Amino acid sequence: MKVATTKSNTQLVLNGLLNENPIFRLALSMCPAVGISTTVRNGLMLGVAVLFVQVCSSCTIAAIKNYIHPRIRIPTYTLTIATWVTVIDLLLSAYFPVAYKAMGIFIKLIVAFAIITMRLEVFACKESIGKSFWDGLGMGLGFLFGMVTLGFIRELLGMGTLLGHDVLGFKPLLFFALPFAGFFCVGFMMAVFNYVELVFNRMKKKRG
Amino acid sequence: MRDIVQIVVRLTISCLIAAFVMGAVFTVTDKAKKRNEHQDFQNTMLGLLGYSKSKPVPADLKLHAVYRYVIEDGQARYLGYMVPVIEDGKESYQLLVVDPDGNLTKRAKLNIALEKAMESTERDEAMAEVIKPPQRFHYADSFIVATLGKRRLAYLLPGEFPGFKTFIRVMLALSPKFEITGLEILEQEEDPGLGAEIVQDYFKNQFVGKSFDKLKRLKVIKKPLPEEYRKYLERNKYKGGNFTPEQIKEIQEKYKDADIYALTGATISSNAVTSGVKNMVKKFAYREKMLERILAQQRIAAAF
Repeated sequence: MKVATTKSNTQLVLNGLLNENPIFRLALSMCPAVGISTTVRNGLMLGVAVLFVQVCSSCTIAAIKNYIHPRIRIPTYTLTIATWVTVIDLLLSAYFPVAYKAMGIFIKLIVAFAIITMRLEVFACKESIGKSFWDGLGMGLGFLFGMVTLGFIRELLGMGTLLGHDVLGFKPLLFFALPFAGFFCVGFMMAVFNYVELVFNRMKKKRG
Repeated sequence: MRDIVQIVVRLTISCLIAAFVMGAVFTVTDKAKKRNEHQDFQNTMLGLLGYSKSKPVPADLKLHAVYRYVIEDGQARYLGYMVPVIEDGKESYQLLVVDPDGNLTKRAKLNIALEKAMESTERDEAMAEVIKPPQRFHYADSFIVATLGKRRLAYLLPGEFPGFKTFIRVMLALSPKFEITGLEILEQEEDPGLGAEIVQDYFKNQFVGKSFDKLKRLKVIKKPLPEEYRKYLERNKYKGGNFTPEQIKEIQEKYKDADIYALTGATISSNAVTSGVKNMVKKFAYREKMLERILAQQRIAAAF
């Protein structure tokens, strides 16, 4: 028997942002986290695009979850995600040309992200549309937060700029623009998240 | 067995629904998308010619597009130029077919409106009326002549060449003497922070001002960019640097015959752009001279 989630809407959003942050806690979608978070602007653009696709896909799958044959779940998810990505890509190129020029190449990559498929499999195919919406929002925001943070670190240390504006005037560690430095940063952020959780649990134990 | 049939049916239905949705969105947005692309193209061209919000476009500026096609007739290869021509006071497109030796072999009127010539499907239709099988044709490239009244202002060349990773699409602006007056990188997929720096002013602007003779011998040198040169190249980015017109002239003279300083950690991308630009300009100069000769010989009044 399917048991619906008992979390409230805000709890779902905070869950996606902190507890189960897709990049730093679930270790999903490391590809874009490492490869595309070279600047804040790239990270921001991709994060927003993933947010849209995640929310739309979660709601769609939650709406049709009773009609999906259990053995072709994954192809159905991929089909939904691909349709939404195409729709968003076309809409952007037609009505928001400036934004499209900035993030056009990234949008097409979203189809392959593990995080969206995982979330559909774990949550959306079991929950109602409302709850799926909030969960998708939380996950998307968690991804956005992660990408912007990584972009911030890598752009500042790698290029000395922020959003294109020169801040430092020199390039401290140019290799931060390369993918392998992305792994360093992701690992570092994971350590930070783990440490914060440790401290938080300790404080909770002391209180209770 | 029943399971398989069910799966196949459901999957097919899902695919059909997805295709329907995507197709619907596409038909609704396609026109707007094409309009945006053309607007973008137009803005890039005007930007290269030096016009922007602060310097508005004069009323007598006209952009004439010339399209080049390759026509195959069995083993023989011809070049077909779609040129805007003025006849009886009206401007229309005509096709000039040229053999490899530079002689005009055919001249035909094309049934296409001036504004529609931007669309490749419209152009192909008009060409198909004139070039019949067994002859075949395919599109090669195009160039745009910008005229201010009766004077030729510049040539604009869109072009594409291989870069370090995939292709690099650029637009060049040449003076009537084939000296580079502007370079704009339209599309590239080089490494961010390394090869992608080709879009930065301090690399792109090095090409500006190179004469045609220097261009033919242009090389890439692996030396650090001199600080004064960099400041000069980026003077527009940092809001009017501190350059007086005399200083600008002085630096221009000093570096007119310098080679291209390579980007740090992106020698291959720098080489790709330099050789790509060289090839584009050399080929264009050759073809343009040939076209001019034919226009003069045949006394064809081109719109430029």
